[in-house]
Amino acid sequence: MGNDISQPQQSLADLNKLIHDARGPLNRISMQAEMVKLALEADMPKEKAIEAVNKIIAACQDCSRDLQHISDFVKSQK
Amino acid sequence: MLEVLLVDDDEEFTNVACQIIEFLGHQVSIAANLKEATEWLQQQKFDHVFLDFMLPDGSGLHLIDYISKNDLTPFVTMITGHPAVKGMLAGLCGPKIDYIVKPLQREDLENALNRKPKSARKVSATSPKRYFGCLVGESEQMQELYTMIERVAKTSANVMLMGESGVGKEVVARAIHHATNSEEPIVATNCGALSKELIGSELFGHEKGAFTGAVARKQGVFEQAGNGTLFLDEVTEMPLDMQPNLLRVLESKRVVPVGGTREIAVNCRVVSATNRSVEELAEGNVLREDIYFRLAVFPIDIPALRERRSDIPLLAQAFLEELNNENASAFVFQPEQLEKLKQHDWPGNVRELRHAIHRAVIMSDPTQTTIELPKTFLSPFSSVSKKTNSLTAGQTIDDVERELIQITLAKVDGNKTLAAEMLGISTKTLYNRLHAYGEVFDS
Repeated sequence: MGNDISQPQQSLADLNKLIHDARGPLNRISMQAEMVKLALEADMPKEKAIEAVNKIIAACQDCSRDLQHISDFVKSQK
Repeated sequence: MLEVLLVDDDEEFTNVACQIIEFLGHQVSIAANLKEATEWLQQQKFDHVFLDFMLPDGSGLHLIDYISKNDLTPFVTMITGHPAVKGMLAGLCGPKIDYIVKPLQREDLENALNRKPKSARKVSATSPKRYFGCLVGESEQMQELYTMIERVAKTSANVMLMGESGVGKEVVARAIHHATNSEEPIVATNCGALSKELIGSELFGHEKGAFTGAVARKQGVFEQAGNGTLFLDEVTEMPLDMQPNLLRVLESKRVVPVGGTREIAVNCRVVSATNRSVEELAEGNVLREDIYFRLAVFPIDIPALRERRSDIPLLAQAFLEELNNENASAFVFQPEQLEKLKQHDWPGNVRELRHAIHRAVIMSDPTQTTIELPKTFLSPFSSVSKKTNSLTAGQTIDDVERELIQITLAKVDGNKTLAAEMLGISTKTLYNRLHAYGEVFDS
């Protein structure tokens, strides 16, 4: 509530940023999964579904990396 | 088929979302930042915009400003990672803005796109400008208010809003929050509505098992507001003995939930509101002085509606437009109707004006475009305020007694038994009094 940004406030902002980053891959996973469903239901070429599944696997790796960043950050604050 | 604009900087997401929306039968254009989105909006007309909150060149809210300033008509769906943003959007928007929360599903996109059938409705060129997405008015007093909001939004100072009931204190609180361009939430609570027992838990939260019925941990509003804004309405109605607890939080910027030991940091701006005047605050013993200075670092007085009559037609138009959108009607005001609205004193301020227009919309024939205003705008409260105003120092008790008897008799159509009962005197005493007043009441 003062004008300057205090240390805990800054840390919280950093943490929120990291959490925001981790939502990105989750969002991609969710949409790619919808794409797989669509490809199967709408009888699209098999490659469409495989491409989407590959992207899901890659996004899982991204999400894991982002969670590691959060974990590192929390440890660094102790 | 709708023309859809998708604004997000995550390329993989926009690609897959684009394929899904196209599969749903719509035409999609993609923008990765505010600049590209603005260029698209200049080039062609869109029915729907999906908009990410955080873009590389600024907040998605800037695009909403751009859309409303240029009288564009798309329906906007904000994409957010934070469900708490709901409160903030509720104040900002009106019927044409919605939000969906990540991670998205196909259904979210479908529902958002299905919600929009009214987007083609005309927005008239005379549509009043909304400052900070919600405030209407061009008067000098409001211009001053806008300047104050802009200035204070740049700082993190606590703000106290003062003004009569119905002037729109919560709307101003939302405007301040909007002006900070924050993705953090605004959380509102009414201190007058909470019982003494519950207020601690509402404000500061409680731990599981803190008291009977505390079956789970509950976040208090300070914690919910995060780095955003906490709006404490009717702060002067908070019991005096709870105020030291509030003071401690404001001073230490830390809150301890009821039944807990762990301190939680408080980072939000507190915007508080009261409908009591400065004099009442000083005399009434309703707010401790130390709390006042913590809350009212930046006090803002919101003018009563009768002090800015030139804004009445603008507000009336804005409300009518909202109601037209909600009810799919097409009412318009005649100039003399706006003049009539302008003449009224509106003791209940903007809230009363909105209520009067809402009532007129309900009363008017929906197949016509002319709106019928009621003959008078008297509400139960306008007459009450007149009565209390008529009590002034210098009147004798006899005068007041006589007036009270007069008003009571008028209320019960001259029925003396009922009037005596209401006045808490015997019928005989009432007759004696009337007798003493002589022919005035000899009916």
